[in-house]
Amino acid sequence: MVPTRAPELTAPADLPYTFYSQPRSLGSRPKYREQSNAAEKEKGPVHHCNIMIDPRVVRGNVLSVRHPPQSTEPSTLEAKRQRRAQKQGLARKLTREQIRTGTPEPVEGREHVHVQTELYLEEISDRVIEVDGECQTDEFLDRPPTPLFIPAKTGKDVATQIEEGELFDFDIEVKPILEVLVGKTVEQALLEVMEEEELAQLWSHQRAFAELRNAEFAELQRLEEQDRRIREEKERRRLEHLEKLRKQKETAEKIAARAFAQRYLADLIPSVFNNLHESGFFYDPIERDIETEFLPWLMSEVEETLQKKVLGRMMLDSLIRMVVEKRLDEFSRLPPSDQTEAPAEEPRETDAAPQVSGEADVADQPIEEKEETDQLVDEE
Amino acid sequence: MASPRISAYLPPDIDPTKAALAFGRRALPKLNEELQAPELLTQQRALMALCDLVHDPEKVYQAIALGFLDSLKTLLVHQDQTVRQKTTEVLSIMALHSIGREGLIRSGVISALTGLLDDPVDICRKNTHQIFDRLAKLPEGAGGVLRAALIPPLVLKLRTELDEIQELILETLSNCIRVEVSEALAAGALTVLKEKLSHPSAAIRSKAAWVLLEISSHAEGKIAVCKEELVPALVSLLEDTEPEAQVNSAGALMFAIVTPQGRSSAMGAEAIPPLLTLVAEETSKARLNAIKTLTLLAELPEGRKALLDHRDTFQRCLDDPSEAVQRAAEIAITVIDWKP
Repeated sequence: MVPTRAPELTAPADLPYTFYSQPRSLGSRPKYREQSNAAEKEKGPVHHCNIMIDPRVVRGNVLSVRHPPQSTEPSTLEAKRQRRAQKQGLARKLTREQIRTGTPEPVEGREHVHVQTELYLEEISDRVIEVDGECQTDEFLDRPPTPLFIPAKTGKDVATQIEEGELFDFDIEVKPILEVLVGKTVEQALLEVMEEEELAQLWSHQRAFAELRNAEFAELQRLEEQDRRIREEKERRRLEHLEKLRKQKETAEKIAARAFAQRYLADLIPSVFNNLHESGFFYDPIERDIETEFLPWLMSEVEETLQKKVLGRMMLDSLIRMVVEKRLDEFSRLPPSDQTEAPAEEPRETDAAPQVSGEADVADQPIEEKEETDQLVDEE
Repeated sequence: MASPRISAYLPPDIDPTKAALAFGRRALPKLNEELQAPELLTQQRALMALCDLVHDPEKVYQAIALGFLDSLKTLLVHQDQTVRQKTTEVLSIMALHSIGREGLIRSGVISALTGLLDDPVDICRKNTHQIFDRLAKLPEGAGGVLRAALIPPLVLKLRTELDEIQELILETLSNCIRVEVSEALAAGALTVLKEKLSHPSAAIRSKAAWVLLEISSHAEGKIAVCKEELVPALVSLLEDTEPEAQVNSAGALMFAIVTPQGRSSAMGAEAIPPLLTLVAEETSKARLNAIKTLTLLAELPEGRKALLDHRDTFQRCLDDPSEAVQRAAEIAITVIDWKP
């Protein structure tokens, strides 16, 4: 940070050489930055600025290509510098013009023209001939390895020679190496062989066991088979025996049943016959005939005869009754004449007798008719 | 001054195909991240390093706890064949350890491996079948293989695969069939096995006989074996040169002739003489199975008649060092002497 100096724009004209600021001795500047720079740089108390966190210090590989930090607008410090530079340029130009004694002003009607008076004319133009020149440092190369530092030879040269057999004896020295080599190889081989042998032992052990097991298994199956056969045989025989017993029993039962049935039925027939006989299934046809036909007819005839007799008696009774009633009537009436009565009685008696006989015949006929109807009914 | 250590530095790990291992506990997590890296080379190198680490059971435990199996499962379907091959190799080495097996079964690697059955590269297929084989030796593993419905494809592959892989498939099938047989029968395993019984390779013959043994230990398997008329084929296998095949075919017969039809077909195929030769051989491993088979045949009247003449063979077996053989011989003598 440069100390501020007051730029002086005016300079005395007669002095051949001016400077912007009067020479002055520099005052003692404080060792540390003042607080007035706090506005320019937005940093807090920056008394003790740590170089480690100073943003201006370049960090990282210092040999790599580093582009300057871009900023969109120039910082205030930059603007100030530019302005100052412009002012200085302007001041320089002004002073230069004032130092040079200029030609007097042109007379009226004339014009001063600048003319080149050198030997060779040169074209003057505003445009300054610019030649661009570039300078670029080379790519940062890797630092080549440090060459081996070989100090300069000092001292005296001395030579020596090792004869064969002086350093070591090959045959003796090689023994341990060989032992190790061979030992390792053999050990590895032994391991492999042992592994295989172990497996072979296991398998043979298993095989032996399997054989024994198979033998026992076969024995087991044989015995099973035997057992099965025997059991089957036994079963068959048992079934046969059972069958036999059953048949025997059946036969015995049949016999017993037959005997019993015979005995039971022995007196069945007589009793049956007896019963039938008693209930009248067996009959003598003549007897039946006599019973069914003859006897009813006989009975009916008897009945008829009896009825005739009864009828006769009834007729007689009625006759007597009539006579009696008539006599009663007659006797109750005046007896007109006894003669007429006597002959009337006789004809009446004779009348009555044929009447009686006629009535008896008449009665017989209806009785006969009645009998016939009775018989018809009976026969029906 | 000479010292055994030439240089202050350890020799550099000059295997460029392996990834660099971090120190101590960081090794496996770092490998896990490298496995999921997008670059092919990183993945391959990580897999190579993992292959070597997985031989150690503790590393297997740590790997499974870190969830390596999920990243390995995604790598199984990688396009690059080296990645697939190494992944299957890592999984097969993991299956050698018990912890590895449990982890593989739990995380459902079996179903992820079904896609690799048709892989064009031989080694991948071989490793896949090795994994199945090792897993199936556990009951839970066999259950897992069954649940993944692998039996029909495996039976199909039996016809077309290479011999080594066929052996692995046969072993897997035998262990799975021990658990459940209906699926294998439905997939037509018996016809394939009948062909394999006459295969030129001895190992395949013996393994096919072992599979038949397992099939006929189940009831429906027995019926199917008798129906397919495998009993004569098994009887002919009794005279095979390979002792394993003899053992297995004797065992298969032992199970198959429990049923009456099996017994009659065995008598028809004249199984008694080869079985007697097997019993008479002192060092044969098939003694136990042969004695058991003869016991079964002795329950038939014709069998008993034939075996009464050879009773002394069984007497000799009573002094056998193996206890199981002694017991079997006693039972056989009891059955032969039984009178109705």
